[in-house]
Amino acid sequence: MKRITNLLGLLTRPKPQVGLTPADEVFAENKWRLLRYRARPEGLAFHTPILLVPSLINRHYVLDLMPGKSFAEYLVAQGFDVFCIDWGTPGDEDRFVTFDDVVDGYLGRAIRQAARHAPGEQVHLLGYCMGGSLAAIHAAVHPDRLASFVALAAPVRFKDDGLLSRWTNTRGFDVDVLVSAAGNVPWQLMQSAFHLLRPTLTLSKAVMLIDRAWNDEFLDGFLALETWGNDNVSLPGEFYRTYIRALYQDDGLVSGRFALRGRKVDLKNLTCPTLAVTFEHDSIVPAASAAVLLEVAGAKVKQHLHLPGGHVGAVVSKHAAKTLWPQLTAFFVQHEVRAKAGTPAPAKATEKPAAKKVKRPVPREGRARS
Amino acid sequence: MDLWDSWKKGFDAWENRTAALMEQVLKSESVLMPMGALLTATMKAKAASDKAIAETWERMGLPTRRDQERTLHALNQIQSRLIDLEEKLDALEKNRN
Repeated sequence: MKRITNLLGLLTRPKPQVGLTPADEVFAENKWRLLRYRARPEGLAFHTPILLVPSLINRHYVLDLMPGKSFAEYLVAQGFDVFCIDWGTPGDEDRFVTFDDVVDGYLGRAIRQAARHAPGEQVHLLGYCMGGSLAAIHAAVHPDRLASFVALAAPVRFKDDGLLSRWTNTRGFDVDVLVSAAGNVPWQLMQSAFHLLRPTLTLSKAVMLIDRAWNDEFLDGFLALETWGNDNVSLPGEFYRTYIRALYQDDGLVSGRFALRGRKVDLKNLTCPTLAVTFEHDSIVPAASAAVLLEVAGAKVKQHLHLPGGHVGAVVSKHAAKTLWPQLTAFFVQHEVRAKAGTPAPAKATEKPAAKKVKRPVPREGRARS
Repeated sequence: MDLWDSWKKGFDAWENRTAALMEQVLKSESVLMPMGALLTATMKAKAASDKAIAETWERMGLPTRRDQERTLHALNQIQSRLIDLEEKLDALEKNRN
């Protein structure tokens, strides 16, 4: 009976609140901004900040989905100083934003901003999905400010037997024509490519919804994840051209043919402690495509964490809070940069001046487009 | 086990089989190539239409959409360069102290 009531109530159920962990905007440039989550009331327990780098295609709040299912909230509760990049929504003029602008420019700036007050000016860098690939590229060229690096379901080898690889390498697909005509590559195009990875997924989700509709907690989580899943972002055209041509078509990252602002990207230069996390049922980033990072990275300390679950569910769920998150935290603690003698205790993030209170994510429909 | 549970079990088995089969079909070049060709043709048509509109604006002596995009992008680049300079100045000042 509860199942039927809840299903009928879906029409009037309020939209789930997402991205609720209190955060301040500490830096902004073009459309991207750097968020700093407010420290727990008892203050920070660790000096080295953690910088979260989400994918450019999706909204950043996947890492802060909702209370109890928020990785950012969990890290804050453990006493970390947590920063996250919100890439924002590209305007039409951002069709000219290049891969170098994003990975060398914006990401580098975010790392420097987060590292400013840390001992040794180093951060723990965690990149999720495409964000992990971008972070790996940056880390290979600028390894100096990194205390450790976590690649969370991040593709490194792009040429495989998967649908995305085949699609971008198919003869009929012309990335130059697409970028020249579309400017920013529409999110609808990318979302439809993800749907093709498992065309029955929508039907399967509908059945799962009916099956578990009696559970209010499940419904809230399901709706929050669907809100995020349908709140995608278009990609800057020039960025997309390089991403497809140099990474998907040429597979330049593993082969060492890729260059960032003219500098060769050699993953052997990724020397900080490195952890690659892969998931057993990840249809978007196959485990082999992500785990190869550990074969090519030059770090002495390399760890591989292979967990059950899918690309998103294994990262944002109550199960993740018991399995994945504690292991990531342990990795960060293990590689904490020791403060020099005389360095004051970590400051509370709430004590930092001149920070704007962050706005909640605005649904795509309500977002002003330039 | 009630009727729903047994139906769900059957559905899950069907879904797994169908998803695997569809993946094979969609991955085949005979499906991907026409899809790619269709997308490319659509984009070429859009480019031609955009060009015609831009030429109309130009004939009236007005800036095109692309002109405006370039200008806004240039402003964003200037902002980035200014932030670069600020960072360099901060670093110099820090080293001096």
